[in-house]
Amino acid sequence: MRGADAAAISSPLRAQHPSLLSPCAWAYLASGCQAHDALVANLDQDRVALRPRPGAPISPPTAWAKETCRAPAMEAIWLYQFRLIVIGDSTVGKSCLIRRFTEGRFAQVSDPTVGVDFFSRLVEIEPGKRIKLQIWDTAGQERFRSITRAYYRNSVGGLLLFDITNRRSFQNVHEWLEETKVHVQPYQIVFVLVGHKCDLDTQRQVTRHEAEKLAAAYGMKYIETSARDAINVEKAFTDLTRDIYELVKRGDITIQEGWEGVKSGFVPNVVHSSEEVVKSERRCLC
Amino acid sequence: MVGPEDAGTCSGRNPKLLPVPAPEPAGLDGKMIRATGGFGGGAGAVETPEEQEEEEEEEETPPPQQLLRRYLAETRGQLEPGLCYCPLPAGQPRVLPRSAAPHSDACPPDAGSKHRGAEAADARAARHGGMTNGDSGFLPGPDYRDLARAGGREPRHCRLRPEGPGDEGADGAGRPSDWAAPLEDPLRSCCLAAADAERPEDAGSGSGGSPASSGSGSEDLEQPGAGPGGPEEGASPVTSAERTSGGAGDESRLVFSDVHLNSRNTFEVSRHQSARDHLPSSGPPVPSPAAEQGPAGTSARARRSGGFADFFARNLFPKRTKELKSVVHSAPGWKLFGKVPPRENLQKTSKIIQQEYEARTGRTCKPPPQSSRRKNFEFEPLSTTALILEDRPSNLPAKSVEEALRHRQEYDEMVAEAKKREIKEAHKRKKIMKERFKQEENIASAMVIWINEILPNWEVMRSTRRVRELWWQGLPPSVRGKVWSLAVGNELNITPELYEIFLSRAKERWKSFSETNSENDVEGVSVADREASLELIKLDISRTFPSLYIFQKGGPYHDVLHSILGAYTCYRPDVGYVQGMSFIAAVLILNLEEADAFIAFANLLNKPCQLAFFRVDHSMMLRYFATFEVFFEENLSKLFLHFKSYSLTPDIYLIDWIFTLYSKSLPLDLACRVWDVFCRDGEEFLFRTGLGILRLYEDILLQMDFIHIAQFLTKLPEDITSEKLFTCIAAIQMQNSTKKWTQVFASVMKDIKEGDKNNSPALKS
Repeated sequence: MRGADAAAISSPLRAQHPSLLSPCAWAYLASGCQAHDALVANLDQDRVALRPRPGAPISPPTAWAKETCRAPAMEAIWLYQFRLIVIGDSTVGKSCLIRRFTEGRFAQVSDPTVGVDFFSRLVEIEPGKRIKLQIWDTAGQERFRSITRAYYRNSVGGLLLFDITNRRSFQNVHEWLEETKVHVQPYQIVFVLVGHKCDLDTQRQVTRHEAEKLAAAYGMKYIETSARDAINVEKAFTDLTRDIYELVKRGDITIQEGWEGVKSGFVPNVVHSSEEVVKSERRCLC
Repeated sequence: MVGPEDAGTCSGRNPKLLPVPAPEPAGLDGKMIRATGGFGGGAGAVETPEEQEEEEEEEETPPPQQLLRRYLAETRGQLEPGLCYCPLPAGQPRVLPRSAAPHSDACPPDAGSKHRGAEAADARAARHGGMTNGDSGFLPGPDYRDLARAGGREPRHCRLRPEGPGDEGADGAGRPSDWAAPLEDPLRSCCLAAADAERPEDAGSGSGGSPASSGSGSEDLEQPGAGPGGPEEGASPVTSAERTSGGAGDESRLVFSDVHLNSRNTFEVSRHQSARDHLPSSGPPVPSPAAEQGPAGTSARARRSGGFADFFARNLFPKRTKELKSVVHSAPGWKLFGKVPPRENLQKTSKIIQQEYEARTGRTCKPPPQSSRRKNFEFEPLSTTALILEDRPSNLPAKSVEEALRHRQEYDEMVAEAKKREIKEAHKRKKIMKERFKQEENIASAMVIWINEILPNWEVMRSTRRVRELWWQGLPPSVRGKVWSLAVGNELNITPELYEIFLSRAKERWKSFSETNSENDVEGVSVADREASLELIKLDISRTFPSLYIFQKGGPYHDVLHSILGAYTCYRPDVGYVQGMSFIAAVLILNLEEADAFIAFANLLNKPCQLAFFRVDHSMMLRYFATFEVFFEENLSKLFLHFKSYSLTPDIYLIDWIFTLYSKSLPLDLACRVWDVFCRDGEEFLFRTGLGILRLYEDILLQMDFIHIAQFLTKLPEDITSEKLFTCIAAIQMQNSTKKWTQVFASVMKDIKEGDKNNSPALKS
């Protein structure tokens, strides 16, 4: 089905700009799209694997994950690119949550983030409609906040994490929101409040009720996730993506020059995206 | 941190070491392929005949070995995962990985000794029945019993034993060493390979010990870092003790081991090395039995076995290999496994099935025509061997003649192909080995120069051209810490006593923190901050070089790292703990004593650049980024424009690089080399390194878009090599037309004040 999709995309292009793409570009289109199909198939599988099972073991690392991040040839065609920022106190599990989402695995130990780390993944919100998520993973330590808050401005969405087993991280949510409000102007960020580490329910220090109340007060959604047990990780990101997509569709959020929050990607019959394809093709040769 | 290359080659080869087709027709069930439950799943689980043989072998096992096994089995409970370091080149790779494994722990030293024994015996023409004189050195003698009685004084002793004495037996005690000569070379390469597998960080710089040192053979090599008589580290105590111990004498051997242990703290190299050697030994977090025994092998173990694998792969003992292999297999670890009942049953079942089949069909299954296969023996890839059935299982109809022929032909082709490949690889490896050997030699001679000439006349020589050039090549690990200390200096005049004072203060604080922990919610913000910082240190320590497994809770350097960071927050409350610091402290700990590491740490963080970053002083950071961009544009204008077009500003990648001084983003050995020159050239070199990285990957980066560049630069490829990177760094000109870094840096401030030209988002806020 997706192969057909790709063909559908490429043929009008070819019709309009027969000279635009070199033969190898076409070869890429075919092969790359196949690769992408495989990727998406993998993704689907992974989603199945990620589905929360009570007391389920950690799902095994998936080989494709690294590929997605590194291999530009995997670059697929997307409708929009959203830049999301993940914030919250240190050690609430920001990097782990993103890793679970983008790489499909849970790292028992990971480096502390210094400055900012980057991740990306495609999300298919409707059949054939893919959104590319560019995820900025920020350092949680207070000291880095003066650096990371500069990145709010160019983000369209954000996940604000706290650790349900660490009350202080929940108390700081308010502070985080106030700070973003100041620094995001004149744009706005669609936030979702994430109570992380929900697998550790026995050590819970924040009730779901109070978290929901707080989220409602700020007009956010609230979701509880666990990177370790892969609970709601997909949902947290895709729900946020959908919400942003709706806002974009309604025109509440518009693409603006000089703002990186939302970028338009490939829309069939839009020429500039072919550039992407050619680029990818060149890359895959090297 | 094992180089992927090593891991790759080794894991590819390693399986060959383990289960192999039985050298002799080994029983009827030899033809059966059985799934051995729990032993390594998948293709790896295929067992070959020597299992049977192994049992026979066990009966022949001389009693001392059994004792050793028992002893080892007993002591293994006492072994700390981090403490099973053994400075033996050849034994090491085998010993270490298993030591982390619960079941087969007792096996490796034994196996190792048997190897040697076998080789030695074989080389000496006839092997009559048991052991020859020379063999006794290789096999655990009665001294093992003594050792065992002495209690688990130090698990390392026993690790050492099986090999150490043996080598001397030949060398030191002046026995006819006809076999020693051929052995020397392989041992050397083993050592190199082992060293490599263990500490590829040192690959370039390597062990000071060196082949060059005395050429008297393996023993010198056993202690990498045993310098050719440097005044400081001297002839390593280990080596000398080892020499004196000769072929006999429990006492002297015990002394030897103890000396080694004690020397660990004074002897930088060995410490340095052992520090790293701790890592992978406890690395694989409790490998499953399958992981240890499965012929498919785990990468961890495969890496470790690199030394041996190479040793055999080089085909130096072609005739012996099969014997050796079977010996390996009969190692006592199997006995432990042998207790597992299902396996026993399985074996019987298959035997019975076969017998039944034979009885029914009236034809005896002859041992498969193995002669043709034997020819290819050394290069036979295990997986192929294991997967191809000589005959079908007895409960299936037999193959037709043509089919069997065809299969045989296909099989032979595959084997021939694999053989070709293996030979090619072996050549390649040999070449690499030679290069490494040469490198090691260079480092050894460099070390002599550093120790004998430069360090005694530090102030005079440090800025001479010759020293600077030598410095650029990378510091030998044995002098690295010393040179860093000297180069960083001690402007702050911190003494070890002062460190103790701040450390005790920090300890008090931790104590009061844990006491007031319960009612801290009421207290003020500053308290919360402090607590957060203390808490953060704790959490970050275990996240520092997690793959090394030495800073984690229970790891050998966990407390040291904790102490240094804690003492620093007391010493400089204005800076406090900032994420990224733990990496700097960790690298220093790996190269220096605790107090010296603290002194270097505090002084290093007091440098203007580090102070600016760790205090997150925006205007200063802005200056650094802007200066960096000036040189970026000058050196790599195309890439600079490419980055600009995506508004990809340097803060995105430089923050991580500068905060951790590249120790997080580059492989550790490479990071150390960057540190070497950073100590020589100062902050300028940090940015030069950044440009060197950009230059190295310029072509790739030019093809990437924003997110890929950002991802790429924050997670650099792991296979980055020091030669390539340093070539690129050297190609970076840090001279902007007529201005040098410092001058540009000074002038940049003006520009910034005049108009905000810089668009680093981090600096705008």
